[in-house]
Amino acid sequence: MPVSVGPYGQTQPSCLDRVKMGFMMGFAVGMAAGAMFGTFSCLRIGMRGRELMGGVGKTMMQSGGTFGTFMAIGMGIRC
Amino acid sequence: MEEYAREPCPWRIVDDCGGAFTMGAIGGGIFQAVKGFRNSPSGMNHRMKGSLTAIKTRAPQLGGSFAVWGGLFSMIDCGLVKVRGKEDPWNSITSGAMTGAILAARNGPVAMFGSAAMGGILLALIEGAGILLTRFASAQFPTGPQFAEEPAPMPASSFGDYRQYQ
Repeated sequence: MPVSVGPYGQTQPSCLDRVKMGFMMGFAVGMAAGAMFGTFSCLRIGMRGRELMGGVGKTMMQSGGTFGTFMAIGMGIRC
Repeated sequence: MEEYAREPCPWRIVDDCGGAFTMGAIGGGIFQAVKGFRNSPSGMNHRMKGSLTAIKTRAPQLGGSFAVWGGLFSMIDCGLVKVRGKEDPWNSITSGAMTGAILAARNGPVAMFGSAAMGGILLALIEGAGILLTRFASAQFPTGPQFAEEPAPMPASSFGDYRQYQ
């Protein structure tokens, strides 16, 4: 049965799976990074309270999307 | 990107450099296409042309800066592997911070420190995500142990056959 089996005895995920996994991982990393850096930069330009939440959320989504795209491409070019 | 099934050390620099260039060029192409499309004057022809111009001017630049980051990162990574004699996430985190510091060296010590902190935090997040992912993946797929145990039934069945022949 010519199923490609990885070195640890589990089936190798397909290319699309790897790209999706890369996107999810990049999205998570980007959300975390965006939470940190977004909080700093929004506090520095003087946002407080409800406005701060919105600003941080926007930065988180933006950086999550950017990171996810780049990670997905990075996974895609290697498989 | 940060799996531990990477190239052995001197070739990793070339691999990372080229991979980072490709990643930056493709990703930059996508983002600049959207940006050029939105920033152009109205009219489909103008928008297409603006999008193409934005890709042609900015995507290779972005790819180049990605390649510089990736190449310097894995050079420092390989150096640390050689010096410390082991490969662990701390190598990546340290080399991310050092890469950030070196690339911001011409902007003064404050910018260096900020950039180093950014690189270190970013690489720490990526490494942490990688570790979590491998742990989660090995826990999640129950097929792993089954496949690992697959060779075990084989001798048993052949042994059973053997006994039947007797």
